[in-house]
Amino acid sequence: MKVRPALTAFTCAVALALSGCNLVGGSSESGDDADKVTVTVGLVPDPPGASQFYRQQFDEFENANPGITVKVLENPSDQQLNAIELMFQQNNAPDVFRAQDDGMDRMAARGWVAPLDEFVTPDFLKRFPEGSMDPATSGLHRDGKLMSLPLVWGPWSTLRVFLYNEDLLKKSGFAQPPKTWTELEQMAAKISADGNGKYFAYAPASAKAPAVEMLASTAVPYSVPATGIDYRTGKPATASGGMVEAVELHRRMQSAKAMMPGWESWDGSRAFKEFAAGRLAMYPTAPWHVAEVRKLAPEIKMGVAGLPVPTTGRGAYLPLSMSFSPLWSMSSKTPHKAESWKVMDFLSSAAFHKAYYEKFGTLTALESAWKAEAEKNPDQAAILKAAQETMRRAPNPALASKGGKAMLDALAEKKDLKYTDASLRSIVKNQPFAPAAAQLDKELQSYLDQVSARFTAKGQEGSAADLTFANWDPLQDFTPGG
Amino acid sequence: MKTDTVERALDVSAQSAPGPRRGPGALRRNLWSYLFLVPTVLLFGGFTLWPMVASWWYSFFNWDGVGNPTDWVGLANFREVLGADAFWRAFWHSFAFSLAAIFIEMPLALVLAILLNNSWLRFRNLYRLVLFLPVVATTAVIGIVIAILLDPAGGLVNRVLLDTGLVDRPVNFLGGTSTALPTLLSIDVWKGFGITLIYWLAALQTVPKDLQEAAAIDGAGFWRALRFVTLPVVTPIAIVILLLVFQRSLNTFDLVQAVTEGGPDYATDVVPTYIYRYAFDPSLRAPRYGFASAAGVVFGLLTLAITLLQAPFMKRRMTRSAS
Repeated sequence: MKVRPALTAFTCAVALALSGCNLVGGSSESGDDADKVTVTVGLVPDPPGASQFYRQQFDEFENANPGITVKVLENPSDQQLNAIELMFQQNNAPDVFRAQDDGMDRMAARGWVAPLDEFVTPDFLKRFPEGSMDPATSGLHRDGKLMSLPLVWGPWSTLRVFLYNEDLLKKSGFAQPPKTWTELEQMAAKISADGNGKYFAYAPASAKAPAVEMLASTAVPYSVPATGIDYRTGKPATASGGMVEAVELHRRMQSAKAMMPGWESWDGSRAFKEFAAGRLAMYPTAPWHVAEVRKLAPEIKMGVAGLPVPTTGRGAYLPLSMSFSPLWSMSSKTPHKAESWKVMDFLSSAAFHKAYYEKFGTLTALESAWKAEAEKNPDQAAILKAAQETMRRAPNPALASKGGKAMLDALAEKKDLKYTDASLRSIVKNQPFAPAAAQLDKELQSYLDQVSARFTAKGQEGSAADLTFANWDPLQDFTPGG
Repeated sequence: MKTDTVERALDVSAQSAPGPRRGPGALRRNLWSYLFLVPTVLLFGGFTLWPMVASWWYSFFNWDGVGNPTDWVGLANFREVLGADAFWRAFWHSFAFSLAAIFIEMPLALVLAILLNNSWLRFRNLYRLVLFLPVVATTAVIGIVIAILLDPAGGLVNRVLLDTGLVDRPVNFLGGTSTALPTLLSIDVWKGFGITLIYWLAALQTVPKDLQEAAAIDGAGFWRALRFVTLPVVTPIAIVILLLVFQRSLNTFDLVQAVTEGGPDYATDVVPTYIYRYAFDPSLRAPRYGFASAAGVVFGLLTLAITLLQAPFMKRRMTRSAS
């Protein structure tokens, strides 16, 4: 092969020139653009339509704040945390990012979340319902510092409601949704039989059967399905009566073919689609499904009620374990703190919350932005009523003490000790749940002992005592320190 | 006939590239060849070799993927992987994908390739295209379409089965613990069929025409020509196809993740989804990259071991084919 030196040199020169033009100050920013600060916001395009909504909102923000440009970075919901972590590792983190619930703790544990206290004014705090920003119970504070701002209404994250199709219930002679588990079981059997394969009575919401946890939370303290621990005693309680019966109820309905077939492979949106299509008569769910159903089927006769309770009577209320769920955080590495705060301030403004409520039907953290309208909307009024009737304040070990948080973090690492897999196995394979639950309790106790011993050896806080709230009555509002 | 034809086949397979020219000027003469190899070596090193070596290193740490791994745990991750029933269940499922590909997909694809390799067959290119389409179709889209078709509540397949009286109640293809894995295996065989078919077609086209003509002149019919000419010639390539199909099917991930995410009750969990769960599950407060790396290393070693187990068999087949 003959090499032509001149051609080679020319090619190299062109390549260098092309690749180097951005390395020697070839920025396109000039004039007004150069004076602008760009704030990057990492969010998820959820719910459907959020991409356009956020862009439109940030355009309005930019008009009101000419010195700031907001650049939106979107990640799929289930990849948001991993993507943000990678960006931090590459020193390319967004200035403001969405890290929901435990995700905020995951980011804060790495030192990537900036406290917001220096920016917060009394006027800012007044936007939120009175007392909701108390550092001890807000859910947004860690070690007394404000680490996050909320998007949704406090009860929204833990409230669960029961959706039912009035027409399908009427076809089987039922005027009301089930009030107890026995009624649920009987109604489900009849409705599915009457549906004759065209529609079905019930589904446990999605492939992991979250309905079990929802219903169990009306029978046993919420901590039992959530962590396996009864916070009244600090001991494992997966085998407690109400928990076992919640699984057995679903096992019986599955065995009796009262449940809609195929739910075992459903994703999180399938239930509201089937409900909206008139093929599913009733199911327990998070409240955001209500707006999704209404979007898909505006005319459907949908009822929204509280969850059915055990036939022997309610054993617990749904938990309000903090005022809000964390959502918006500021990067501790941002060079534009003041501008980032302006964006966060905007995301916590009445105008933004009202727009969000109007677009998605979600009840947001600023009640003043939607309360009057929501009370006039039958669907939303029913959600408010369900929240009032079925929720009570509950203890939260993560907010109560460092040891409690450490124990919950340790429990979160052992997902296989949670009831979920054993419960699902019991339902789909028609096996009794009690023996598996007893075994889980045994393994969980052993794990708790190991973790406590490990913490003690390292001189760290964390033991079963941090998970114990002996005076808590799950049928009453809990008062921290009370 | 047999001896004559095989000798000619051996003549063909014995044709080999000239040996490397060595000498003082060889490096300079081949400089451009080495230069052209640089991008490949860099990319292979950066995106294949380095991750492999790094995952070995990470597997000895309790590490969440952020910062440098510092919490050395020795072989603890490996002990946990090897003692986890869930890992072995996932491994068996992965292996089932390979078995289905080797014992169902490969023979079927060979039969069809022999048919499609006939020049007298009209529209054979169209048939090849149709059979190849699933290979290039996006797995996520296939997953959605399949889920709709197989839906026990109103899906087309169940409607047909019910209407024709083949079943008296809908089959829960993807939701049943006993039906989900066979269903996914079938979809995987269907999706991978086209590429295996192309492999076989390529192999069949290496059979020299003059050999086939010689066999025909010697009086060999279709079956004898297939047995004594075609198969011996394609056997060395068949072994490569076997390895390719084995490796591809053992690493099935996207189909399972898109259709069942390993459910129900982990009935379709495969090793890649098992690893993915520990490394990337958004519900984890801290991902377990160290443990996931250990699972990946164990899986890699097991795959290597199974591949090596096939070596004596392959060697025997190649020797038999050559003789």
